Amino acid sequence: MGIRLFLMGIIISAVIGAGAYVMKLQRDNAVLKANAIKMESAITEQKELITQQKEDFKEILAANQKMNELVSVLKKDLDDLDKRFNKGKRDFGKLAIERTQAMERIINNGSVNASRCIEIASGAELTEKEKNATKKSEINPECPSIANPNYVPYQN
Amino acid sequence: MSHIKTKDKTWKLAYIIAVPLMLCLLLSGCSSVKKLEIFKQEVEREKLNLNTPAPLSLEQLRWIIITSENADEVFKKLEEQGLDPVLFGLTDKDFELLAKNFARIRNQLKISNDLLDKYKEYYEGDLDNKDEK
Repeated sequence: MGIRLFLMGIIISAVIGAGAYVMKLQRDNAVLKANAIKMESAITEQKELITQQKEDFKEILAANQKMNELVSVLKKDLDDLDKRFNKGKRDFGKLAIERTQAMERIINNGSVNASRCIEIASGAELTEKEKNATKKSEINPECPSIANPNYVPYQN
Repeated sequence: MSHIKTKDKTWKLAYIIAVPLMLCLLLSGCSSVKKLEIFKQEVEREKLNLNTPAPLSLEQLRWIIITSENADEVFKKLEEQGLDPVLFGLTDKDFELLAKNFARIRNQLKISNDLLDKYKEYYEGDLDNKDEK
């Protein structure tokens, strides 16, 4: 009787233990599945983040390049202005004495153009005439880089 | 006979204790402490959306070149036009510097405006598309 009870006790303990172990395995499995799902979603998020970062870098590079281009064309406008005053052996003062009326006209036209350049730089819309200007005679010579986007400088 | 009665009483007692105990266990087994879910939701910062300043509209001014030869004529013309016969002068070199200074201011204005546009475009999306919307 005693042995039978002892064996039954062992069997019952074994069955309960096995059940508990199976339940533990099921719980672990559920946790692992949840972890795998989380990992997958984390990987997807990371991939999206990397793609976004790549696009941001491209945008930053493009913006930098555009700003550098703008700075260089504006510098060219400034150099051109300097050339207009000092090209070759040109003496601006002497010219003003010799051809006063003509120089006055040139300076006043230049002043109108320069004022228009400041208006454009401050955000004014370009007129159709300014947009469509492609010839040297049609452009605003003070700042063609910002006033005449379709003008391609040429040497004559 | 009394032996059977005692056995019934024992079973009854067992039921009285066991049934509520089992019910308690059953109910407490069904209930569980819910996990507290803390979630983070990113709230986008409000856009600044300051109005772009109106572009400048400049007054035109007139330059007069005055030399030792035409000075009298120039002042006479001014008087004829009802203007005070006074001029604020610049030498040719200073005029050149003034023109270059204006060009530098213009360039700086353009660069600053474009820089602002680029920042806005980068942080607030494509300006053209937004305008279309």
